[in-house]
Amino acid sequence: MSDRGIYEDFTLVLRRARAVFISVGIVAALALVAYWKIQILDYQKYESMAVDNRTREIILPAPRAIITDRTGAVVLADNKAAFKASFIRDNTRDQAGSIRRIADLLGLDPAVVSERVDKYKSLAGFQPIVVKDNLELGDVARIEARKNDMPELIVETEPRRIYPHNTVGSHILGYLQEADQKDLDAHPDLLRPGDMIGKVGIEGQYNNRIAGQEGKVVEIVDSLGRRQNELSRNDPQPGPKLTLTIDYELQVKAEELLAGREGSIVALDPKTGEVLALASYPTFDPNKFISRFTPEEWQALVQNPDNPLLNRALQGLYSPGSLFKTVMGIAALATGATTPETTIYCGGVVEIYDAPRHCWNEAGHGALTLRDAIRYSCNIYFYQLGRRIPIDTIARYAGLMGLGRKTDIDIPGEKDGLVPSTEWKKTIRKEEWYPGETISVAIGQGPLQTTPLQIAAMTARLANRGKGIRPHLLLGESGEPPAETSSEIPRGAFDQVIEGMWRSVNEGGTGKEAFVENFQACGKTGSTQTISRETAERIAEGVKIKKTHSWFTGFAPRNDPRIVVTVLVEYGGGGGATAAPIAGQLFAFYKQKHDRSRTPSGN
Amino acid sequence: MIDRVHLREIDWILTALVVVNSLVGVLLIYSATSAGGGAQALKQLLWLGAGFAVFFLTISIDYKVWMAFAPYIFGLFLLFMAGLFVFGRTVAGSRSWIRIASVGGQPSEIAKIVVVLLLARLFSEYRAPYATTGMIALSLAVVGAPIGLILLQPDFGTAMCFLPILFGALVLAGLRRKTVIVFLVGALALGAIGWGFVLKDYQKKRIETVINPAQDPRGAGYHVRQSQIAIGSGGLTGKGFLKGTQSGLKFLPARHTDFIFAVLGEEFGFFGVFVVLGLYFAMLARMFKSVGRSRDRAGIYITFLAASVIAFQFLVNILMIVGLLPITGIPIPLLSYGGSSLFATYFAVGLIVNVKMRRFANV
Repeated sequence: MSDRGIYEDFTLVLRRARAVFISVGIVAALALVAYWKIQILDYQKYESMAVDNRTREIILPAPRAIITDRTGAVVLADNKAAFKASFIRDNTRDQAGSIRRIADLLGLDPAVVSERVDKYKSLAGFQPIVVKDNLELGDVARIEARKNDMPELIVETEPRRIYPHNTVGSHILGYLQEADQKDLDAHPDLLRPGDMIGKVGIEGQYNNRIAGQEGKVVEIVDSLGRRQNELSRNDPQPGPKLTLTIDYELQVKAEELLAGREGSIVALDPKTGEVLALASYPTFDPNKFISRFTPEEWQALVQNPDNPLLNRALQGLYSPGSLFKTVMGIAALATGATTPETTIYCGGVVEIYDAPRHCWNEAGHGALTLRDAIRYSCNIYFYQLGRRIPIDTIARYAGLMGLGRKTDIDIPGEKDGLVPSTEWKKTIRKEEWYPGETISVAIGQGPLQTTPLQIAAMTARLANRGKGIRPHLLLGESGEPPAETSSEIPRGAFDQVIEGMWRSVNEGGTGKEAFVENFQACGKTGSTQTISRETAERIAEGVKIKKTHSWFTGFAPRNDPRIVVTVLVEYGGGGGATAAPIAGQLFAFYKQKHDRSRTPSGN
Repeated sequence: MIDRVHLREIDWILTALVVVNSLVGVLLIYSATSAGGGAQALKQLLWLGAGFAVFFLTISIDYKVWMAFAPYIFGLFLLFMAGLFVFGRTVAGSRSWIRIASVGGQPSEIAKIVVVLLLARLFSEYRAPYATTGMIALSLAVVGAPIGLILLQPDFGTAMCFLPILFGALVLAGLRRKTVIVFLVGALALGAIGWGFVLKDYQKKRIETVINPAQDPRGAGYHVRQSQIAIGSGGLTGKGFLKGTQSGLKFLPARHTDFIFAVLGEEFGFFGVFVVLGLYFAMLARMFKSVGRSRDRAGIYITFLAASVIAFQFLVNILMIVGLLPITGIPIPLLSYGGSSLFATYFAVGLIVNVKMRRFANV
């Protein structure tokens, strides 16, 4: 057997073996080409993938800027350290199982967690998705204890916003909410899903300033996401402190005065436009819902029929009522429709355009000058002015006084208000203007709409005898004041109206409840009878007794105005009965505070 | 049984190439496991010593004697595998995504070489220019039995390693075009049946992943992607010995076994791949060259089939880790960690050297 091989011919078999070997060589060469492609041609791509694999960027959120009152001493918005739990999908192979374990560990509803993870599924897998914030220490301990078997769940620290005074100034400060898709699209470079951003108020307006500069840590991680070491670190830079124009004590006082009602108070410095107090009631505690996860409380606020989230000072639209008589007085004097000494007789009722028009005082005021017409808020006097001044002229002067447009205050959401004109009626209502409507507008009724803030700004212009201001909340940033009116309105017109307002408060006029000894306050009351559909519904439900909105706006002292106060109380009844005493208390409070600070202490 | 003449005829060049490749393996295993202390490299080194003993034992006994023993060893193996199946003990890891070569493969590694011997014995007297249907059926049965038992384990990768033995033998015996067509049709049919009834979902997923690796980057595609990143980020010259991040930070799976070549690619770059592929190919070339230096047909079959098994595993592995073939647990002989694989390879190399050194008929 052993010698048989010598004579055998193996050529065929060996040729086949050789062919196989050549195939092996070809495949090996092809393999080398594949490695060439990956390692040389696609090197950059894979190198950056390797870097992405092993490095992790951790964003260190900057604490939001501290916000204080005008003295800098009262902190209205602060930060404290808080923990949040985040889920990193890249660190698990079994996402559904992970979500179940996480929900179990943190006492969450798995459906809520998975909905949240789903919401952010377009994010890269290494990006943490917040699943619970404002963690208790127990949660933190539980997560840390399972660090090694649950690398997909991490604890991150974040500075959490707190408002030490709870509801005080909440409509000024605004609140934070998780950035929504619109925010994310608008600022793709600044915002990440899950970031909390200011939505309204100062927090919203100055969000970019308040947010500061986030920091970043780059660290090396292993395949389970465990940190190996740190490559670089940039500490976060908080935004610079924001000082508001708000006088904390006055703000608290204003809110106290409104408590239990629905309405708004605006107090500002007529010289500068600095807003000293801006209150809107009902209100809310922004601390309660600075979370990504308490939809119930949020829903309750949104659905509350009293609408606590509405900032009535700049979003509430109200008919100005008799407050508008100041504008009418200005327009009449400026156009010559009346003079300071012209008197008009009020007999309690007058027939204009075939319809009887009543004064609120059925007995009548007798013959009145403009000053006293304002003092007593006589309707007949202004009805007669309404007959003399065309609506478009009224609209022009209302515009000069700042009505019908935003005051440009530095918080978002302000409403324009409305001053009707023939053109407005033609374009919006597609109807002709009837002269009878002018008569209603003359006493502040009709389609006129104003916000308390507009009224306050208008009052400041009155107090300044024509010089307008831009109300603002950030101390030192007064912005561009509105245009001067001196060429259109003579200073004397202001003096006449102010005289009427002074008499209203100081000489037994409708504003007498706002009187403060030695403060020379001037003011005008208003009571509006317009019932909106919404209000009518409430009345039908019996929730509110039928009452009128109660207005007062004024300033003090007469010759050196330091404060403007505008009060609106919804369903408050007569302006003289409800709003004027509130304004009076605020005037008194302000005067007392400043007298105190002027007289040396220790008598 | 061994004398001076035989010693003089030992293929020292092949032996040296085998040792060099084994040492490259130890080096790479050290790097792959250095994060955990590198104990596996030391173990591999010890096994390497034992491998030499296997080698010398193999060459000291005439390959004809080994062939004579083959059926008995084969029978024992089949019994063992059937026993495993009957007692229902699944070897840990065989169901897992990446088979740890040293666990699932232990008896099968040796069985491969035994099947080589068995087929060599079968074809040793076969002189027809083409394989007859009877021979084909017989070879199919011999190779099919272990494949079937291993598939039941289930260990797809190890089962696949028996295919080059079957096809190698049939190619050498000669296949007519008609037969090739029948095989292709049969393979397609089997593939279709396998897809429908036999393959597990995770295996199908792996096959789909080759076709479209992006479809599931965090699931079935994860390992291929990590391996591609490791190799690609090695660039031309690599990140340096022990400096691979993909391997060091454990992004790379089965670093010391199935993905050992990716460690090479990451740390030594294309340059390292080129050199090691060259060394390995040189070894394979020396083996295939040795086919023509056989005294008889059995020797030709032994050498050719042993070389084919090693070449097959090498090529499939280096192609699968760059995503050109589905991931199946197939380690690279000599380079991947694992004692049984090492012993089996030294057994195979021993047989090749054995055949060549006994090529002179009169001794």
